[in-house]
Amino acid sequence: METATLKQEHHNGHHHVYVPEPELINGKPTFNTITEVICGVPEGKMPRLWWILFGISFAFMAMYLAVIGYLIWKGIGIWGNNTTVGWAWDITNFVWWVGIGHAGTLISAVLFLFRQKWRTSINRFSEAMTIFAVICAGMFPLIHMGRIWHAYWFLPLPNSMQMWVNFRSPLMWDVFAISTYLSVSIMFWYVGLIPDLATMRDRAKPGIRKTLLGLFSLGWRGGNRQWRHYERAYTILAGLSTPLVLSVHTIVSFDFATSIIPGWHTTIFPPYFVAGAIFSGFAMVMTLVIITYWMFPQVKQIINERHIDNMNKIIMVTGMMVGYAYGCEFFIAWYSGNPYEASIFMKRATGPYWWAYWSMITCNVIIPQVFWIKSMRTNLTVSFIVSIFVNIGMWFERFVITVTSLSQDYLPSSWKYFNPTIYDVACFVGSIGLFMTLFLLFLRYMPMVAMSEVKGVLPHANPHHPDHALNKHGRGHETHQVEKVAELATKNGGH
Amino acid sequence: MKRTPKPVTAEENSNAKKYWRSAEQLSNSPEFRRWLESEYPEGAAELELMKDSLSRRKFLTIMGASLALAGLSACRRPVEKIVPYVKQPEEVVPGIANYYATTMPFGLSAYGVLVKSNEGRPTKVEGNEKHPSSAGGTNTFVQASILGLYDPDRSKAVYKNGSESSFDEFVTFWRKQHLDFKANGGEGLAILTESYASPTLSRLMSEFMATYPKAKIAVYEAVSDENIFNGIQLATGELLQPIYDFSKAKVILALDADCFLRESENVMNARGFADGRRVESGKDQMNRLYVVESTFSVTGGMADHRLKLQSCLIGAFTAALALELNAQGVNVPAADALGNYATHPFDKKWISAVAKDLIQNRGASLVVAGRHQSAEVHALVTAINSALMNVGTTVSYRPIKDAAVPSRKSLVALVEDINAGKISTLLILGGNPVYDAPVDLNVESALKKVKTTIHWGLYRDETAQLTTWHIPATHYLEQWGDAISVNGTISPIQPLIAPLYKGKSNIELLNIINTGLEESGYTCVRQTWKQRIGELGFEENWKKALHEGVLTMVNDTKPITLNSEALSQAMQQNPFSTKAPNVSSLEFVFLPSESTFDGRFANNAWLQELPGAVTKLAWDNAALMSLKTAKELGLKGESVYAPEGDRTHLNDMDREVVKLTVQGRELEMPVWIVPGQADYSITLPLGYGRKAAGSVGNDIGFNCYTLRTLNGMDIQNGTAEPTGKHYILATTQNQGSLDGRESIVIEGTLDQYLKQPDFVKEKLIKYEEVKLFERPYKHDEGHQWGMTIDLNACIGCNACAIACQSENNIPVVGKEQTRKGRQMHWIRIDRYFAGDFETPEMVYQPVACQQCENAPCEQVCPVAATAHTEDGINAMVYNRCVGTRYCANNCPYKVRRFNYFNYVTDNPVWNGNVPETVKMAMNPDVTVRFRGVMEKCNYCYQRIAGARINAKNQGREIADGEIKTACEQSCPTQAIVFGDINDPNSKVSQMKRQKRNYDLLAELNVKPRTSYLAKLRNPNPELEQNAIG
Repeated sequence: METATLKQEHHNGHHHVYVPEPELINGKPTFNTITEVICGVPEGKMPRLWWILFGISFAFMAMYLAVIGYLIWKGIGIWGNNTTVGWAWDITNFVWWVGIGHAGTLISAVLFLFRQKWRTSINRFSEAMTIFAVICAGMFPLIHMGRIWHAYWFLPLPNSMQMWVNFRSPLMWDVFAISTYLSVSIMFWYVGLIPDLATMRDRAKPGIRKTLLGLFSLGWRGGNRQWRHYERAYTILAGLSTPLVLSVHTIVSFDFATSIIPGWHTTIFPPYFVAGAIFSGFAMVMTLVIITYWMFPQVKQIINERHIDNMNKIIMVTGMMVGYAYGCEFFIAWYSGNPYEASIFMKRATGPYWWAYWSMITCNVIIPQVFWIKSMRTNLTVSFIVSIFVNIGMWFERFVITVTSLSQDYLPSSWKYFNPTIYDVACFVGSIGLFMTLFLLFLRYMPMVAMSEVKGVLPHANPHHPDHALNKHGRGHETHQVEKVAELATKNGGH
Repeated sequence: MKRTPKPVTAEENSNAKKYWRSAEQLSNSPEFRRWLESEYPEGAAELELMKDSLSRRKFLTIMGASLALAGLSACRRPVEKIVPYVKQPEEVVPGIANYYATTMPFGLSAYGVLVKSNEGRPTKVEGNEKHPSSAGGTNTFVQASILGLYDPDRSKAVYKNGSESSFDEFVTFWRKQHLDFKANGGEGLAILTESYASPTLSRLMSEFMATYPKAKIAVYEAVSDENIFNGIQLATGELLQPIYDFSKAKVILALDADCFLRESENVMNARGFADGRRVESGKDQMNRLYVVESTFSVTGGMADHRLKLQSCLIGAFTAALALELNAQGVNVPAADALGNYATHPFDKKWISAVAKDLIQNRGASLVVAGRHQSAEVHALVTAINSALMNVGTTVSYRPIKDAAVPSRKSLVALVEDINAGKISTLLILGGNPVYDAPVDLNVESALKKVKTTIHWGLYRDETAQLTTWHIPATHYLEQWGDAISVNGTISPIQPLIAPLYKGKSNIELLNIINTGLEESGYTCVRQTWKQRIGELGFEENWKKALHEGVLTMVNDTKPITLNSEALSQAMQQNPFSTKAPNVSSLEFVFLPSESTFDGRFANNAWLQELPGAVTKLAWDNAALMSLKTAKELGLKGESVYAPEGDRTHLNDMDREVVKLTVQGRELEMPVWIVPGQADYSITLPLGYGRKAAGSVGNDIGFNCYTLRTLNGMDIQNGTAEPTGKHYILATTQNQGSLDGRESIVIEGTLDQYLKQPDFVKEKLIKYEEVKLFERPYKHDEGHQWGMTIDLNACIGCNACAIACQSENNIPVVGKEQTRKGRQMHWIRIDRYFAGDFETPEMVYQPVACQQCENAPCEQVCPVAATAHTEDGINAMVYNRCVGTRYCANNCPYKVRRFNYFNYVTDNPVWNGNVPETVKMAMNPDVTVRFRGVMEKCNYCYQRIAGARINAKNQGREIADGEIKTACEQSCPTQAIVFGDINDPNSKVSQMKRQKRNYDLLAELNVKPRTSYLAKLRNPNPELEQNAIG
């Protein structure tokens, strides 16, 4: 079912589409209104709600840093981890944050390569979120170490102590996977930011802000050659990032999958973790978008129901994928004939952690099913609530995997329940504080939407770069979504 | 490291300037001279200096000294000057430990031990193979005694009326008393002593009686074999001590007797039992153990047939057995005087089968009863053993000589005398009667009526705080003395270290009491021995005895003749109770704690943290009862052994508190459900709830002595009711059953084994050996260390756990951390219940690091902090560890322990630093681990390295058996064998070749170096259907 779009010409083997896609951006914005709306946010005063949220987030972040200080001073014992459950909330939080950090690359790179033009409204957002989530994630493996002051031993640095890292350890792989991901994400984000920074620079009054913007916009003038280089770089980075979408969480899942602990030692983990990561990442983008709406209602024009609708679809699909994985794990546990495997899965569902397991199922599998209904997909309140549930559910998934498997492994004598302490909670909540602080600062100082890209999908945009055009895909279901879109589509000769 | 002595202090030289300028001046200080002479200077000198009010000059002194030192202290650690030996003692080689034989007296028992001494500092206690009571093995109390030596809460000074005094002052005081009492023949003088068996003490006590003929002597022990002695006396008319030889017994019946842990001579008993049970080939025989008991004990765990029965019915059961034996043709004396016990609904079939088995093995059977059973039970047991012709083979009797035999009556008489005002001076020679005497005797108020009370003891305990004088005692590792073991062997007690805290030994004290003159313990002991063994060749014999740890092995047992008439009379006069307890009249049984015994070890952190052998409770005691009893009392009966399907049992450590009432006396304590506990029988472990034990033991647990009255010292009737309150208990094992995992602890019957020696194979999970990559270690060259643990011999006594703790400097972590599951023991004794909840069986499995050849922990460590050695040890490199805990997660045995806090400077037990003296108990060959690093068993690698160096120096190979791991060495039953598996003739290789051998979790292909030998039970075919196996 293809909607007839105005296919114009082929150039360099690419589809070039001069498609007015008015439904992507509400109203009839001009380039200028886009610039005004987006630049207006960092240039203007922050609304009261921003200050409230920032105050809260900053307080949590400060608490987080204080707790980390105490943790390093006193020892890991302030958490609830024990001999049997050596990893608990620390690694749960780590995997949760890494998962959240997945939507960024997916939206930026994969959707870009698939020419999903709706991504332009949310990609900056999700890239920023990715970086912040990966920062939050990366802190946990660091602070969970008994002797953080030796963290550099993780790096394969030639030294006089005749010490070398153990490349057989998945934690070692993590070091490379996460740091690669973080650096590529930052690069990707920054490259995308350059034209927008230049826009802001041009609008800024002389002063330190203008100087800084000038510095970081790397002398961008918007010339053709610059655009050409920019688009090339962007495409290359998108290509580089795409395998990372699969690799990072695959490697994180190896922490578990290559171990011998029943409930961890599972071959389904890599795809299952990736699906879960996309799931939680989109949920987090959804949460943030809606929070941004509350603060900056003008953004609704740019990130509209259609984006919400698309994201909810992805949430539902990936939710069903993880649901399938849950079922598959159970099936394999039974089918493999491994008694330890069978035991741990039964215990997850009926044992001491049944509440965590069923919270996970409820939040991740059952609740997103409301998105079968179109009106639910476009309802902001419902979307927000579901996204929060998914965030919770995905945290529980990480918790169930990490803690319940350790809690009841091979020898029943060692079975032990994990009870978190106030410091476990503080570190988790604190990391959210850190994340939100960074995110709110991002809103405060950066263009939250990729203006140049959005402008590119505006109806009156000229095809001014070869690689960033939009193809014909995607309108098929769009027509079912928004009435206005449907009308326009009909006008444009769609089915 | 020795600390710098403090400079001349203001008190000593008040007019002089308060600072010092040169080392010469410093070295002239009396402090320094004392420090040079003494083994251990008093630490924290700087702090003491600070205690005085800070004058400007002193401030400048300290600042000046600090500045002077600052130049030296570019390194991280505080500067502590060390002083080498100027003249090195001949026998001391720095870094190489010496071993000395000595004896640990314990009531009437004596454990011969070898003590390791590092540069004059005792650090480890091992059993002395030449001594009959230990035969190389030990128990937890012996192992933990090293910590007791260094207990900083030990009494450090003589106290008079609560304030510090000196021993000289006491001597002056006593000289006057001495003259007075000598003049009046000791009128008004009394001694209350704990029991002992010692030639020197005994000589001094006779001298005491000679000096003060009118003086009174009372001997009291809260937990003793008094009933046993009384019973044997009842049957034979003589004061005799039983000596059991379990190794010769083919059929054993234990009547409420925990012979292998709680009873006297448990080490020897356990060893004998295990020896009679070793199975190496299909031709071997095994003894058979029947146990009748109210609460599950380790002995009950070893039983081939266990019958739960309330303790108060054991007498009637014994009588029913005697009648059955009679009916089956063995003439038990006094059987005709027994009433009609057959009417009681005992398991007739059981009794009949046991009787038959005992008779068939006449002369090689053994019946033992627990020390808390009445004298009549013991009298009848003596008669049964005699009738079964066991006397002289499995049980023999030795007249008790040179000993203070505990007698509750003597205490009662003493208290009566005190209350009648007849006693003016009371010497309490050890013991803590204010805490542990029968509560209705009210010793506390009696003590206040005595004009002068003198307490001698290791601690300023509950009793010491009430007495006029308190004299600090020496620890057995600080004193000269002697002891007599159960079979009459005399062994010396020689000091390993000068008294740490100005203590005096009981010998020295008693000598002063007798003569008013100070004499060293050394002289006193030698004097006694000269009398014993004669002057001729004395020095030679003395030296030999000190070297060997025993004077001569003797066996002065004697045959017994039963006094049937007296026995019959006793049976008729005191018939056994047949009244079974019920929910409104419960039975309370007082048993010594496995950790604190009668309370004397309450301040020993190792023992407090040691999980109970059956309950796996640490840092507390609880009222043990069956689920049925709890439910009928209106409790929920929450339990970690709850039937399967209980969702929350891994978590819930909140236990219901019950109010126990005995004759108007009340005690509230938490309930702990024990499977296999007799209904309506509540076991109350003694030795907790101390108020003046010390910083570790104060207010730990609940004091059950408050319910223990004179007429119910052992078994008491009482009631219990729920309070609605809860109390948090700490257990080290939250899952009681194997959850259907039969391949973990493999168990079979002897029959099964004889028919099919490799029955183990069927129980193991089948797996295919998959090779993903070549094994990085070939493991076929040089020494390859391995271990076997024979589950058929392991009784679960925990001695290995304490031995390991002592050897490897394993920290204690306190109740809160234990509750959180962070106990640090490198070897743990897993205890599983199997079968139904009411009549389960119990199995033990010690688990330490299995030293997997294909170790999952090594693969996951990102910084390669755990790696394999060439000789097959999974080594842990502490200083490389960054603490990710990944290795512990990936360990299928969960044997890795993480230092969640810095347990040396931030120890929850002492709320901060581990006391300096406790650090002295540490093994200098083993690193103390820092916070944030992982640790675990490494087969006592320091011992391996030591032996390797030794062998290399001597140009030879390491011999088999030369290296013993700490757990192996301490094991009373020799269940653990360590050695070179690359040597086909080594003991461990032979053990591994046995058909019972299996690897734990072999299906994971981790190739553990430690393997287990399946447990065997030997059920009586006649009772097969209700065999617990």
